[in-house]
Amino acid sequence: MTGDVRVTLPLACLAAGAFAVYLLARLWADRNRLLALFTALVFATALGALGPLQFATGVDHLPAWGRFGPGAAFLGADPGALVMAGIALGLGLLVTVYSGRYLALDRRYETYYPLLLLLVTGLVGMVMAKDLFNLYMFCELMSAAAYVLVAFRRHTETAIEAGFKYLVMGSVGTVTILMGISFIYRETGQLALSHLAGAPGPWTRAGTACFLVGLGLKSAIVPLHTWLPDAHGRAPSSISAMLSGIIVQSAFYTLLKTCLGLGFPAHSLGTLLIVLSLFNMTLGNGLALVQTHTKRLLAYSTIAQMGYILLSVGVGLRYDLPAAIQAGFFLILAQAAMKGLAFLCKGVCHFYVDATTIDELRGTAARMPLVAVALSVALVGLAGVPPLAGFTGKWFILTNALRSSGALGYVGLVVFLLNSLLALGYYLPLIGTLFTPPSPPPMGGKEGGERIRISPWMALPIITLGGLVLAIGLYPDPWLGWTAGVGGYLLGLGR
Amino acid sequence: MSTETIWLVTILGAPMAAALLLFLLHERGVRVAGWIAGLAATLSLAGVFLLLPALRRGDVPALSFQWIPAVNIRMSLHLDWLTFPFLVTEAVVTLLAVVYTWGYHRPDDRTSIFYALLMLFAVGMSGTTLADDMFLFYIFWELMLVASCALIAIWGEGDRRGEVALKYFIFTHLGSLMVLVGLLMLYDTTGSGSFSALRAGVTLAPGLVVTVTTFFIVGFCVKMAIFPLHLWLPDAHAVAPMPVTIMLAAAMLSMGTYGILRFPLSIFSPAQMAPFAVPMMIAGIVSEIYGALMALAEQDIKRIIAYSSVSQMGYILFGLGTLTYDGIAGATLHVIFHAIVKALLFMGVGLVVRATGRRRITELGGLGSAMPLVALCIGTGALAIAGMPPLCIFDSEWMIFAGGFHTAHISLSILTLFGSLLTVAYALWFVGRIFFGTRPEGLTIDRLPWAMVAPTVLLAALSLIEGILPAPLFDWVDQSLNLILGGNW
Repeated sequence: MTGDVRVTLPLACLAAGAFAVYLLARLWADRNRLLALFTALVFATALGALGPLQFATGVDHLPAWGRFGPGAAFLGADPGALVMAGIALGLGLLVTVYSGRYLALDRRYETYYPLLLLLVTGLVGMVMAKDLFNLYMFCELMSAAAYVLVAFRRHTETAIEAGFKYLVMGSVGTVTILMGISFIYRETGQLALSHLAGAPGPWTRAGTACFLVGLGLKSAIVPLHTWLPDAHGRAPSSISAMLSGIIVQSAFYTLLKTCLGLGFPAHSLGTLLIVLSLFNMTLGNGLALVQTHTKRLLAYSTIAQMGYILLSVGVGLRYDLPAAIQAGFFLILAQAAMKGLAFLCKGVCHFYVDATTIDELRGTAARMPLVAVALSVALVGLAGVPPLAGFTGKWFILTNALRSSGALGYVGLVVFLLNSLLALGYYLPLIGTLFTPPSPPPMGGKEGGERIRISPWMALPIITLGGLVLAIGLYPDPWLGWTAGVGGYLLGLGR
Repeated sequence: MSTETIWLVTILGAPMAAALLLFLLHERGVRVAGWIAGLAATLSLAGVFLLLPALRRGDVPALSFQWIPAVNIRMSLHLDWLTFPFLVTEAVVTLLAVVYTWGYHRPDDRTSIFYALLMLFAVGMSGTTLADDMFLFYIFWELMLVASCALIAIWGEGDRRGEVALKYFIFTHLGSLMVLVGLLMLYDTTGSGSFSALRAGVTLAPGLVVTVTTFFIVGFCVKMAIFPLHLWLPDAHAVAPMPVTIMLAAAMLSMGTYGILRFPLSIFSPAQMAPFAVPMMIAGIVSEIYGALMALAEQDIKRIIAYSSVSQMGYILFGLGTLTYDGIAGATLHVIFHAIVKALLFMGVGLVVRATGRRRITELGGLGSAMPLVALCIGTGALAIAGMPPLCIFDSEWMIFAGGFHTAHISLSILTLFGSLLTVAYALWFVGRIFFGTRPEGLTIDRLPWAMVAPTVLLAALSLIEGILPAPLFDWVDQSLNLILGGNW
């Protein structure tokens, strides 16, 4: 066993934490806050374990945990993996604190917290995996946890339906990936990505295509997005925050890493991504316009936001612009904060006033000013209005799309601009609804208008994320520094 | 930190701090909100004038520090001669609008938020003119939109305010996005967002010059509400609460002019701009005539004045389009004078609406004897907008027409000149219908608060004084043009 053991530490923390939390939850079945605190501690420890890796990485010197010699690592902390894992752990930490109150609605803590930890374990393992077997295994772990969490509210039929749909489609995706792995193994007899680089044979190409489809499904690339609005719309809000905030994006990162690593030419992959991004943006925004349920609206907006990321990364790959890929990852970070914030705020409304449709959100500003302001910040940020995080991301994407000086880049740019205008059509009315006084209640209905005190367990993550949305927008420098290595790393894979 | 820097920061910082304070005070600050906002606006205006001596000495008060080094974006503010006239206009209008609000706004538990948003709106406008970096410029540019849109959406008059605010936001945002693309194209070629670097010289491929200029001009024309990009204006102006309307019409519209002066005109040479001259002049004339005709056709007195803005912005675009010193100087002066007169007219309309509770012109009439002071103020404003000497707009229109006659397109200039007859028509018709004739049955007149009357009278006086003594303003504008046009024109 050679290599740097530190790479495995975050994973070990999370996995061990999952079991420990399960045991604790069986012991104290109704101590939600204690369990939430403990889970948060696990996330914090994992973040702490991830910390030293940030400084250990140079783009060409990756701490790796290898068994087959120095080149053949099966876990490695590449710059992109660190960004994705960092976001996932951070968001996981906030979501856990939030769940310390939010979960009082659903209870069943002994399933929720361990599954949340396993979800993130799978994610971290997947983005750090350096060989196809581990990649598949962690991907399945993540997906399995996600299926159950989507159907967590098992007393509602819609949640079961959404979970089942997600399960079926997700399984199709993972089976496709497995088939792809078998193709590749048949031809090369290798599974480590570092051994698979170089000129791909026909089977490897077929395998790569399978990865593109399988992981494309998990990253909600149109036309493989159909599971997303149901899954993200029906899951508990805290889980939707994770799903929309980072799970989809990390599947996309894995797609990039494997396809480029398997020898898919960066130029062609870039072209494909730009073309697909046009559909993602337009379809996501177009369908979000007609939604009546807040969470479904946010879910469709995730599809659109994935389109923005696809566009930016696609431009970077096609025109060999590391800065564009970096912009894409900057946007992933910004979006994790904004989408997470939006879903958490939505969850508060659900928790206190049982609001699910957009109309039911009327009067939120009067009753829960903090939530109304935070949700507005998130939505305005998603719409790309300065000085919030979404705008800064938009600025970088536009700069790079212009720099591409290519016809496809310009097409992407125009569609992107039109879409950011289209998106205002649903974000702004939603904000307007928050600040509209509630309509008079029906006969005998409860008078709604009194101020509601929000639990600090929910307020803290919301304030943190709101601050982050502002901070990323106003002072993007450190965050840019964090994502700086990704572009070069991915382009290096493709060469 | 020198005194100049402190005042420069105060111009933006005072309203920003006031906004923050008001947001924090919220319901506790209802009684002091107006005073806090007034104090901040006064400080901001004082800052502008205290920096005038420095400008005269030839200094450029500036503040700049590293912001996003990775992409070479700096947090830079500067006050140069081009900024100055616009900044003065904005600061004066803000202060008067705040004073007007003291009388206009009936305190409730959201009063603090109203003033806070007004202050943010002002920060957006002064920040736009003070910014010396594209990133910062665009942030303030959009802040202006967000704050004013929130004001319309929350305090707008009538049930349609939500829809109107949405339309206003999306329509204007379309223009902003065009401006953004133009900015990014420039940024990409210079590698720095600084305006000073841009003025030092940009070499672009000829095709790119045309593209960038088109984006800028169309984008800024949305903000200026030039026909057919004006569709947001009548609704937004008619629905917005009066102080917001005043700031929209008198100050925010001029930001479009500032943008055209700051970007295409000061960066590119006259030869590069030449292909845009005739389109700009024609768009200006169309807007001028269309706005005036619509003002004649409208029934709602607030919308009449709103359409008059479309018409007046037409004059300004025409002046810019002449690409002559006189035309551009006239356009810049027109921005200032239009701000005075338009604020005056809207304030007057606000007084009429407050006193009578009616907005349809057919339900008004014969008010002259009952409200002589208001009649005098609105009459002054109407004559001014009609271009009557010795009121101020006469001076700027004179220069715009003079600029037109310096070009090779005399026919266009003659058309503008005759188009201005329509302005006279709606202005006189407007005054006549409200103040003369017989008073309709049941028209009662309420007492007016001094805080609403005082700024109106002040502006009426100002429009006369500036008409007779325009020399200081001419001097400022002359300096601005020397700065942006250099010796090229």
